[in-house]
Parts: sequence; structure tokens; C-alpha cells
Amino acid sequence: MRRVAVTGIGVISPLGSSTVELFANATAGHSAVRRIDETWCKRLVSPLAACVHFSGEEHFAAPKLRMLDRVSQFAIVAARQAIGDARLDIPNADRQRVGIFLGTGMGGSQTTDDAYQTLYAKQSNRIKPFTVLMGMANAPAAWIGIEYGVTGPNLTYSTACSSSAVSIGEAWMRIRAGDLDVAIAGGAEAPLSFGGLKAWEVLHTLATEDPSDASTSCKPFSKNRSGMVLGEGAAIVVLEDWERAIQRGAIIHGELIGYGIVTDASHITRPTVAGQAAAMRAALQVAACAPASIDYINAHGTGTQANDSVETAAIKQVFGEDAFRIPISATKAIHGHLLGASGALEFVLSLLAMQHDVLLPTMHLDIAAADCDLDYVPNCARHNVNINTVMSNSFAFGGTNAVLVARSAAQRTGTA
Amino acid sequence: MTTFERLSKILVKNYKIDPERITLDGPLEELGIDSLGMAELLFFIEDEFKVHLPFDPVALPTLGDAVSYIDGLLTAQHATRTQISADVTAPAPPHRPA
Repeated sequence: MRRVAVTGIGVISPLGSSTVELFANATAGHSAVRRIDETWCKRLVSPLAACVHFSGEEHFAAPKLRMLDRVSQFAIVAARQAIGDARLDIPNADRQRVGIFLGTGMGGSQTTDDAYQTLYAKQSNRIKPFTVLMGMANAPAAWIGIEYGVTGPNLTYSTACSSSAVSIGEAWMRIRAGDLDVAIAGGAEAPLSFGGLKAWEVLHTLATEDPSDASTSCKPFSKNRSGMVLGEGAAIVVLEDWERAIQRGAIIHGELIGYGIVTDASHITRPTVAGQAAAMRAALQVAACAPASIDYINAHGTGTQANDSVETAAIKQVFGEDAFRIPISATKAIHGHLLGASGALEFVLSLLAMQHDVLLPTMHLDIAAADCDLDYVPNCARHNVNINTVMSNSFAFGGTNAVLVARSAAQRTGTA
Repeated sequence: MTTFERLSKILVKNYKIDPERITLDGPLEELGIDSLGMAELLFFIEDEFKVHLPFDPVALPTLGDAVSYIDGLLTAQHATRTQISADVTAPAPPHRPA
């Protein structure tokens, strides 16, 4: 089996659209959650979201932009960043040995929402001729493949909130097995239309607004947590055969060493301790890591009643007494839940935390819930902590639990 | 305003195309509007010129082709409308229940 290096990172996120900005805001605990101000917000109970500051016009010519849903815009720009960061020369590579692996939960849902507005609200037949092309879930991956002439597999995974952890894991398996040399992998999501927000609201999963400060409304592991806040964006990494990366002198951000995927198969929304624990164990097993060797966990940590209690119990089941020692961060408190892009964004944050020896804070955690009794790094980052191995958890409606494990590049190569 | 000028206005407004690049014989694809893009451009043409386009797709490689096509439609549909209004009262729109 081959080793797999992460050689490029690209992010379009509520906390910033570069890794530098993202990491600075995540470390400082600056929340991107805001009260949003659209005409339809009065029909939402808590009009909260973590939005990306992004203008498609800065990145695309107008005729092309007309064909791109916001989710594809995020994905393409994040992919450009990642490929640039990796200094990857795709035109001169064996392009059939390169693949695109993308995750998205809701695809081009804004386009679909717009089309419904036209068809049903305005009673007009004039929906955009590109509605199918913009709305289809594989559009973001397809556009990246077209832009770079990548002729290997172009795959889109849709497993709700674990979509992009799955896409990264599945890409890792292909490179590890020798089927591919390079993969552009990650996720994108743009769910902040009225229809998208309302659909999540009626599921009773969204946070109620904190009356003292809207930006603190998402409170993972807290006694007074009330739910998640939706976010948008994209996070994409370049995965590469380790030897190839070394030979071309690439900068290696980390080594992806484990991926576990286990499905609950019990309830469409309710998570299970057994399923989450099994996914963590599977990732540890394939990574050949003892539980005690994990230095840091980026939790799924949504801020919902169900997830945070179950995830805490699952971590205790897997790590035993070590669970109380291993620091855990729930960064969704400040970047929101990017659904199909969350797994990739949190994997990126895990890599950046490891590179910088910083434990990221779980913000808005004043009093933890009684059954959430682990070290969640509450409210303040910790610096100069030696982190060699990280775990990133992503769990989902539908029950697909995906866990990624990465190791510091410095540890294995002996270089700084 | 001529048909060409009105079409140019659409291209500048909706596709942010530099007016200096817009010529009668230049391929629309070079302006970023391929056969797929044409499907949307035809909507704008319907709105601007108040013409009804046939549902079947039409190939208009250059702006000059589009100008001829629109002028043809305008002539034909204007003649038809004049004929209808002279002969019979236009039918009422179909009833839509509240």
C-alpha cells in the first residue's frame, strides 16, 4: 500500500477564503455566525447563518458565471487555490491518473429554489435553461475536471453531513491502492436559500438565536445548546502519492493515514453511539494507530442535543480513560455547519492545527452539559501543544459515519 | 434603435461583454456564448423584441445570424398579428382557478 500526502489546500469559508485567514479566525475564536437580513427572513424563526464573503464576478467571466450555481463557484475557486498551493502541473501529468472526488449534500439547491420561485410563485414557465446543469449534484466536480482537463474518475458523494469526509476517504483509498497518483478531493455547499433554511428549520435542528449576541448561538457540548447554524463554502485538498510528492519537492501538509466508514442503519436522523464508535475504530485500525496515540480530535460537534451527547459517549467507548485526556474541538460553533463541505473544512482545520501546534477552541461553551464531560478546549486556543496525529469526525443524517486520521508530515519524514 | 444595437445592449448588460468586441460577423462562441448559452440568450431576445420563439433550438453562430433571424420573426409575427386583429377578436386567455 502506498502512503498518501496532502500537498495542497484551498478554502472558501465563512472564516476566510485563504488558509491563513481561516486559521487565524479559528484560533482567535471569531464567529462568522450572523443574523442574516433578507426580505424572507421574517418568515424564519431564527434567521442565522455563517455566510461567505464572495463575489463570483471576481472569479468568472459573466457568460460562464450565468451557468454556475454558487456551490460550483465555491468548489472551482477552492480547487484553484488547492492546485496552486500544491504547485501541481496537471497538463503535464498523466491526467487519467488524476481524479476528482467531491462531496455535497444539497448540490445546486439555490438554482432549484430559484426555479421553484419562477414556476410556482410567479407562475411563469421561464426557468433558466441551465436549471438542470446548475442544480445537478455533480456539477461542481464536473466543472473542476473540465477546467483542468482531468480525465480520471470524476465522482460526487452525497451522504449529507459526512459527504466530503467520504470523498476524501474514497480518494485516499484509490491513491493508496495505486489506482491513481493524484486526487482533488473535498466538498462544497451553498444551502442558504430561503427554501434551504426553512427546510432545516422545520426539522427542529437549527439553533435559536442567543438574545445577547447572535454570533454565539451555536454552542456545541454546552448545557444550553439549542442546535446548529447553517454555513456555506468549500474546502478542497490535493492528495498525492507520497513518493511522487517527495520526488517533485512538494510541501507536505500532512499524511492521511486512516479512513473509517460505518453506517448506523437504524434511523434516518438519530445517531448511534455504536455507529460513531465503530467508524472511529475502523479509521484507527486501518491507520494502525492505538487509540492513545491520537493527540487531538476535531469533533462532528454540531451543537444539536442528539449529536453532542452521542459523540461524547462514542469517544469514551473508543478511547476509554484516554478520552478524558485527548483535547476535542467543535469548530462548527464559529464556521457553522457546511453540511457536505463540513468534513473537508474540519479536516483542513485539523491539519492546520497540527502544523501550527495549536488546539482550536470550542467557542460559546460556558457550562458543559452533564453528559458532555470531556476536554473540549473551551473558549480559548492552546498554543505550543505537540500534535502528531489527529482525528476528524463527520457523522450524518442517513447514518453514514466517516472518520479521517492524519499524521504530521514532520514526524514521519524527520524534517521540520 | 436597430436590431443589432438592441442585441448589443443585451450582451453588454447581461454578459458584461466589452461593446468593442461586438461585431455582426464575430462568432458568439468567442464571446462566451455557446449553443447552451444561446438557449438563455433566446429568452432575453423574446423579452426585448416581444417575439415568440419556436420551442425547437435554432443555430445562430454569429450576431449577424441572430439579427437576420429576429428581423425575420418580427416581420412574420407582426404580419400575423395584424391579420388576426383585422379578422377576429383574439381568444381570451385560459381560465385559471384561484
